[in-house]
Amino acid sequence: MHNIMPAIYGLNSLEKSMISIIPEAVIILFAFIVLFLTFFEKIAKGKNSYYLSLIGIAFSILYVVMLSGKNLTGFYGSVVFNGYDVFLFIAILLSGFLTVLVSKDYIENFDVPYPEYYSIILFGISAMMFLVSSNNLIMVFISLEFMSICAYILTGYIRGNTRSTEAALKYLILGTFASAFLIFGSVFIYAAVGHLNLNSIHTYLENISYVKHGSASILNGMGEYLTIGLLLFTVGLAFKMSLFPFHAWTPDAYDGAPTPITSFMATGIKVAAFAIFLRIYLLIYNFNVINFNDILWILAVLSMTFGNIAAILSSNIKRLLAYSSIAQAGYILVGIIGGGFYGYSGTLFYLFAYIFMTAGAFAVVIIFENSDIVSLDVKKYSGVGYKYPFISAAMAFFMLSLAGIPVTGGFMGKFYVFSAAVKSGYYWLVFIALLNSAFAAYYYIKIIVKMYMPDKEDSSVSCIAAEGKNYGIVNGNISEGIMLAIIICLFFTLIMGVYPQLFINFANYSAASLCKI
Amino acid sequence: MAFFMKYILTILIFFPAVAVLILLPINKKNEGLLRNLATLLSLVEFIASYYLFIYFKPDTYKFQFIEKFNWIPSFGASYFLGIDGVSLFLILLTTLLTFVSLLSSYRYIKDHVKEFVILMLLLETFMIGTFAALDVLLFYVFWEFMLIPMYFIIGMWGTGKRIYSAVKFFLYTLAGSLIMLFGIIYIFIIHYEQTGNFTFNLMRLYNTHIPVGLQILLFIALFLGFAIKVPIFPFHTWLPDAHTEAPTAGSVILAGVLLKFGIYGFFRFAIPLLPNAALILAPYIVVIGVIGILYGAFVSIVQKDLKRLVAFSSVSHMGFIMVGLFALTAVSINGAVYQLLNHGIDTGALFLFVGMIYERMHTRQIKDLGGIAKKAPILTVLFLTSVLASVGLPGLNGFIGEFLILIGSFRSYPVLTIIATSGIIFAAVYLLWMFQRVMFQDPHDQTAPYDHHLEFFDDMNLREIITVLPLIILMFLMGFYPSPFLDRIGPSVLHFLTMLNHHKILYNAIKIKTGLSNA
Repeated sequence: MHNIMPAIYGLNSLEKSMISIIPEAVIILFAFIVLFLTFFEKIAKGKNSYYLSLIGIAFSILYVVMLSGKNLTGFYGSVVFNGYDVFLFIAILLSGFLTVLVSKDYIENFDVPYPEYYSIILFGISAMMFLVSSNNLIMVFISLEFMSICAYILTGYIRGNTRSTEAALKYLILGTFASAFLIFGSVFIYAAVGHLNLNSIHTYLENISYVKHGSASILNGMGEYLTIGLLLFTVGLAFKMSLFPFHAWTPDAYDGAPTPITSFMATGIKVAAFAIFLRIYLLIYNFNVINFNDILWILAVLSMTFGNIAAILSSNIKRLLAYSSIAQAGYILVGIIGGGFYGYSGTLFYLFAYIFMTAGAFAVVIIFENSDIVSLDVKKYSGVGYKYPFISAAMAFFMLSLAGIPVTGGFMGKFYVFSAAVKSGYYWLVFIALLNSAFAAYYYIKIIVKMYMPDKEDSSVSCIAAEGKNYGIVNGNISEGIMLAIIICLFFTLIMGVYPQLFINFANYSAASLCKI
Repeated sequence: MAFFMKYILTILIFFPAVAVLILLPINKKNEGLLRNLATLLSLVEFIASYYLFIYFKPDTYKFQFIEKFNWIPSFGASYFLGIDGVSLFLILLTTLLTFVSLLSSYRYIKDHVKEFVILMLLLETFMIGTFAALDVLLFYVFWEFMLIPMYFIIGMWGTGKRIYSAVKFFLYTLAGSLIMLFGIIYIFIIHYEQTGNFTFNLMRLYNTHIPVGLQILLFIALFLGFAIKVPIFPFHTWLPDAHTEAPTAGSVILAGVLLKFGIYGFFRFAIPLLPNAALILAPYIVVIGVIGILYGAFVSIVQKDLKRLVAFSSVSHMGFIMVGLFALTAVSINGAVYQLLNHGIDTGALFLFVGMIYERMHTRQIKDLGGIAKKAPILTVLFLTSVLASVGLPGLNGFIGEFLILIGSFRSYPVLTIIATSGIIFAAVYLLWMFQRVMFQDPHDQTAPYDHHLEFFDDMNLREIITVLPLIILMFLMGFYPSPFLDRIGPSVLHFLTMLNHHKILYNAIKIKTGLSNA
């Protein structure tokens, strides 16, 4: 017990702490480098920021791989790095990588500074990574805010575009509201248990429930506080996970934001929010203060049902994908409700598959998008199948994956989470989810119908639309960045569907280090 | 050769997929090459599949040509293939009909030829995979993905309300499959709870003991998935639309192979996995089957559209097969499996002829047709043969299957069987009446454009004769000499019944045994 003080305040500790956040630090470093490019007008307009961001993300992935297998804690236990983070860091970094890839040809159509754009994306990625690895209620709040602020800026990044600005404003107001819920919830939790560190809260609750087998009443009358706190906390995170009824911002923000950012929000932010929810859920919610699974059950059913119904009614493809992402969030939640090692690993697997199918679909949307709002109508896609065979085949594949048809990662993910829920006895939930999947197939199929089976009358319209200037098609060629992103997404979606064992092993490894508290 | 025989099923499954890779780089303008190459490759596939028949050991019920590799150890899913007498012939039927339908589409499919042949070959891969899979997850993957190429074939090359039909077909079957998936997951988890192992190995899942009440619920879940595919009477509504609007090749595959998956699913999965529920529910399903026979027949009689008539006749015929299967006697199940093959051949041929008539007359309305017999004698004779085979004329294949089904079912359900028999009479009514109107009717009251088409009605050319010839030969062969087929189907069917016997609740065990000895 000697020299405790140096251990806490010494250089050693700081060094260790720094190691635990190296992947994030690398991203932040690159974010600043990219940001400084703005000072040099000549460089700023070039492609340097784009390439630098990609390199930064690649470096960060490298560091994650180098650190994998280590169990690190830093900054007095508020940041942890273990197998769970390895999995999610790679997921988030890949999502960021895909976002940057599809951004170049999109953002160059607008008169906005490029380096800032990329640097904010990088900051956003680092915020997500911090969020995933945070192990302290304050840390959760800070990184969530950091992430949200990046997202607000990026949503409204296209200056002078009313839709973009409106979306940003709506997102900001509702998001701030959600943050208020979150911090309020943290306060209540702190009031009930007297700890901020998640592990300490866990230990505290465990001791109490070990001493006395009861529930809310045992916490010296503070059980109600804990319940209220956890409920408010759930609300705060449900905003970010865009679960019904906290989804209201999703369609507008997704629709108005620049499409690469929509993709980023739909993949990165959602994954990060789910990841931290899963961690907190496992550490705190699992003590039956009240039965949270029942609440989540309702949220999951409402999310998927509402998401699917709204998606069927929408004709704007970005809104359609936004609603579909609400429904997907419902499916992912099924895995968390199912619970257990099997369920958590299934949730992680699904999250991973979800990133690629969603990012791929948005990449295709970018190709055919232009300044005309009609370019986002599903009608625009009629007859595209014959003009761009590869892109359309890829889009069809992503749609089938989202619909959960076999040979795609989406099917394996769905199978995984649903069987976990059946294993825990949630038969009705799975039954409803499967009916929802059948129902949802309609609007995914609708896009494929448009692409490959055009009606006689609107094929003429679409051909004109497809000839016009599109963000992703430069001089008749599809931009390489987007092409690469689509190929990456296609590759992962296919591999996860045909030979998922590799990814299951990875998810298992990750879930194991999550469950080993 | 040893390598070929060892991995013959894998090779058969993935050869068409490899063929797709060969076709992909070919320029889509080069339609002739694409068509010929695809047809040639499917012929190679058919010839290769014939090796299965040659090397198949007929005297055992055990699965043959087994291949087993780990696929997803975490779920206990494996790449587990094997065939018995039932799947053997269904695979042969698949390869034959794929070849036939590719050959038949030379005139009908005029645009997007490349996409068409690629989808057909892709479909073949998944169809063979479904018949060969002995791992439930693998089966499900093949089964479900099969929808996609078929959906494209209907939607891209169909006629009339093609998109509506394609989407309806897709959503209907998808909904059924997803409910089936629920049942599969449930059985998988129950097996896990009993043994502590995750497995999708069908042989192990057969040994799962499920309480009877739960079995009935799960059986209903699986039933919905398979019944929609068959399709059995209230779930058949997608079928007439899909069949009518699909291109000829699509209809042939749909009727010839895809409908077989429902019955195959019952035979391989639903009944052996949930034997007690199957025994309890069998009488009701037989009743539904009989309703389907009569309903299909009645609706066929009043059809005005030639293709729709053939489509509804499928509902009636599939009703027979369901009755045969769920009568659960050795004779009737043999008959049902035999009739599966017959239906694939007969209805496939009927769709081919309907397609040929449509290509020449540009109409399918029976009232606009007529007088074809004078113009095209070869077509008339061959069409008549298929019609008679479908009606069940002795000497042609349809007779054997229906006869076995009726004889076998009579022991279990005498009254219902007598009612079902009337279906054969109605089949004669609607098919022969249709034939008379289409081929012989005096075309005096016809509108001018179709008269014009009739004037230039040419008889079948060599390609078309080659297309239907294998089917016609099989009709006679299977009608006169069924034993090579029944010998191979028999042991598998017997084993199927023995497995049912193991479950002590089998209240009519004795009936089955006597039914067998009488045969």
